[in-house]
Amino acid sequence: MALRWLHKAEETLFSLLLVAMVLLVFVEVVLRFVFNTGISWSQEATLYLAGWFVLIGVSWGVKQGAHIGVDVVVKMLPMLWQRVATLLALAICMAYCVMLLVGSYEYLSLMKMIGIELEDIAIPKWYALTILPIAMLLLMLRFAVLGWKVIRGDASGFGFHDEGEDSMHLVQSDAPDGQDNGDAGRDSDQGTPR
Amino acid sequence: MTIATLFALLFGGIFLGMPIAFALGFSSVTTILLFSSDSLGSVAIKLFEALSHHYTLLAIPFFILSSTFLSTGGVARRLITFATDAIGHVRGGLAMASVLACMLFAAVSGSSPATVAAIGSIVIAGMVRQGYTESFAAGVITNAGTLGILIPPSIVMLVYSAATEVSAAKMFMAGLIPGLLMGGILMVAIYIAARIKKLPAQPFPGVRVLARSGLIAMGGLMLIFIVLGSIYGGVASPTEAAAVATVYAWFIAVVGYRDMGPLKNVPWRKGNEAWGSAGLRALWQVPAGLLGSFTDQEVKKVVLDGARVSMMLLFIIANAMLFAHVLTTERIPHTIAETIIGWGLPAWGFLIVMNLLLLAAGNFMEPSAILLIMAPILFPIATQLGIDPIHLGIIMVVNMEIGMLTPPVGLNLFVTAGITGKPMTWVIRAALPWLSLLLLFLVLITYVPAISLFLPNWLSS
Repeated sequence: MALRWLHKAEETLFSLLLVAMVLLVFVEVVLRFVFNTGISWSQEATLYLAGWFVLIGVSWGVKQGAHIGVDVVVKMLPMLWQRVATLLALAICMAYCVMLLVGSYEYLSLMKMIGIELEDIAIPKWYALTILPIAMLLLMLRFAVLGWKVIRGDASGFGFHDEGEDSMHLVQSDAPDGQDNGDAGRDSDQGTPR
Repeated sequence: MTIATLFALLFGGIFLGMPIAFALGFSSVTTILLFSSDSLGSVAIKLFEALSHHYTLLAIPFFILSSTFLSTGGVARRLITFATDAIGHVRGGLAMASVLACMLFAAVSGSSPATVAAIGSIVIAGMVRQGYTESFAAGVITNAGTLGILIPPSIVMLVYSAATEVSAAKMFMAGLIPGLLMGGILMVAIYIAARIKKLPAQPFPGVRVLARSGLIAMGGLMLIFIVLGSIYGGVASPTEAAAVATVYAWFIAVVGYRDMGPLKNVPWRKGNEAWGSAGLRALWQVPAGLLGSFTDQEVKKVVLDGARVSMMLLFIIANAMLFAHVLTTERIPHTIAETIIGWGLPAWGFLIVMNLLLLAAGNFMEPSAILLIMAPILFPIATQLGIDPIHLGIIMVVNMEIGMLTPPVGLNLFVTAGITGKPMTWVIRAALPWLSLLLLFLVLITYVPAISLFLPNWLSS
């Protein structure tokens, strides 16, 4: 339940961040070309929004099966070994998160101690960096959930995103009157890791 | 030792089924910890800065979002109508029109499999009805769809410039002539085949019909002119052009074409409605539609799709930057370059080896991932051998195109198999004659740098 709420919250948040990024740059361009002015903080703000946007999305992507990877080799193994390989891969992913968690904690405490601010925006730099440890914690949560599913046998891999399969929703039935049957070709729901 | 650890961990992780981003990140961080004196803190901040200190990188989410707005079946159908009206009356015209439609859709959408799915699902059946064989139709479309990553604006080119710090604007200039050339080669080949096989032509629909369909298609095609015009003219950076393109794509999709959002199925002019009343209706409907699209489910889904693809790609790029950092601090490309130069391998020989390597990698991995791993290694070597960075980028992109046509990870093959309902082997055989054209094109691009370099040199002089 809490996990589902988290998933939805992440989704809303990063969609908003993306829209905000586009609009910031767009407004900046309009201001420059039409009114010959600009917003001093816009570039830095957009860049930090981008950082937050991606880091919020990575853990969501694990649950959604949106990450990109190569599973041709693993898929050739028998089921049991597929699950073992996935658990090993998950353990390595966890190790990565732990290393970056420790690293971001080190850097954040350093920044907090020095107390510097961002270049164009008057907020302490360490505020802007808090997303890094948060993202790593969220990732570990998602990896743990996926690991539990693999142990129980509900999943066997990361369920990578397949761009080819994704394009199939553009397939249209060849109706002569040109009616749009855009979703006819969608063959699998991407909501859960396969 | 360092090289061995880095690559063993990377490829071990990838083949174990780890997401590529984490495999890149883990192998790099571990190598840094084992073999250098950098702290974990500096690694963490490098990852964050990779995401938040590269303004050019922002062009990637923006272009992806603008293309999701315009990668709809509706846009594909409008482009096909326009292309068929324009060149359908030539012998083999429907096939040539399909190639043209692929080129246009490719430029708007920037994605190869999306191009094959959107255009192919309409024109393959259409060609079969006109008396083409299905394998001819499927082969043409599968190949023409790969132009998606060569004709600018192209995401793969942005990824290359992220990996190598080559100017994205220059890459966009360099891709245009090769893209048009490849489209031209395909069309000439179709014309010759049509003459031999006596394939049908369609009646010319008349200038009025052509002008009308051209005008309708222009709504989507303006995006290309906005983006390329502002970048070629040097008035905007790719990031700014992409942001403007996204807002424009949203406007066209919601208000212009009304393929999605609150105005869907509300025509600009109902039947014989008077122009005045249609205009009045638009006056309040357009702003209402624009505002309403912020809460519209379909529009939200497009934003979510665009966000998903960009986040995953940007996270791979961030980790690939850690990887590139390890490569440079350990001087790995430098070592490889010296070894290769020590062998006395000339530039043309290196290019052959590079093409073979990339073609092999293209069989297993996704274009962006290959570029992010290979470009930081191959780039310094190529520079030492005197190969132009922009030319190198175009060669790599063409290699990635071919990768989309080779099993087992040939995305376009997969999509064509999906829309025709035929087995993979049939699709591979259908695509093969046209694939050989693409291979010839690769040779041409590799050994005639002027094709890629003419436009960027001319525009910047």
